[in-house]
Amino acid sequence: MAAACSSYTSEVTERRGIPAASFVQDVQSYLNQSGLDVNSALAFLQERLQQYRVVEMKLLAQQRDLQAKIPDIEKCLDIVATLQAKKDGSEALVADFELSEGIYSRARIEDAESVCLWLGANVMLQYSCEEAAALLQTNLENAKASLEVLVADLQYLRDQVTITQVTTARVYNWDVHQRRLRQATTPKES
Amino acid sequence: MAGDMAGTSGSEVEVTWEDQQNINKFGRLNNRLHELHDEIKTAKETCENLEDASNELILTDEDIVRFQIGEVFAHVPKDEVETRIENMKEETSKNLEKLEEEKESVVAQMAELKKILYGKFKDSINLEED
Repeated sequence: MAAACSSYTSEVTERRGIPAASFVQDVQSYLNQSGLDVNSALAFLQERLQQYRVVEMKLLAQQRDLQAKIPDIEKCLDIVATLQAKKDGSEALVADFELSEGIYSRARIEDAESVCLWLGANVMLQYSCEEAAALLQTNLENAKASLEVLVADLQYLRDQVTITQVTTARVYNWDVHQRRLRQATTPKES
Repeated sequence: MAGDMAGTSGSEVEVTWEDQQNINKFGRLNNRLHELHDEIKTAKETCENLEDASNELILTDEDIVRFQIGEVFAHVPKDEVETRIENMKEETSKNLEKLEEEKESVVAQMAELKKILYGKFKDSINLEED
């Protein structure tokens, strides 16, 4: 999308593919500079808004995925920690697990030397308890870091949406104002 | 979303970059407030569940309790379960406290921004939840 309004930009022009919405100091100069009439300017702003909405949907979906993933990883870490704790003791860990929906079975886990981790794509790898804990911890930290970046992206995006909405309102108001002025100065037909 | 600029009279109140930043900040705070409402609700539910669990624990006469770790129910001695639940309860209530504090701060900041923005724009801006 060609930058039709360039000289009023704020510090960043875009962030990770999201174009910044330039802040308009003065509607008249903005329209002169971009060479657009009011309706085209409004159409351009609406289109921008639509693009922002599309990106927002995508980011929100990613955020939901990450927010679901993090508790899962924490649960895994919990279990690995429990297995490690039991290893020092003498007794086995007895647990009831779900065989199928509504059907549970009992398992006796003795001296867990290693665990298997599901890596995705139908791949499961065996790790020692320590290695598994380390891997899970790394995954957890990465997920949390990604989530932070995502949240920052969303905030930036919402700011651009707000700026665009305010600019739309101001261009519209300016137009109304101009029409009033023109009506006032036009000689009235009696 | 909160923060429409309605063109009532079409009058020219200039919007400065500072105003825009205030409006942006208000929008961000409003979003955070909604998120906090949900997070506080979840934390309160967790607190209640833990409370119920520890009450049930007192009533039971079994020595071994099936305690959920991850996706399985491990057989854990009652004392250990009690300790675990106590720790979880404390963690959850600390988290809840932190969330409530953040909520108060957000509400205060929003009130401050409302004063500033309504002060400058009066009727031309709407910051209420619809």
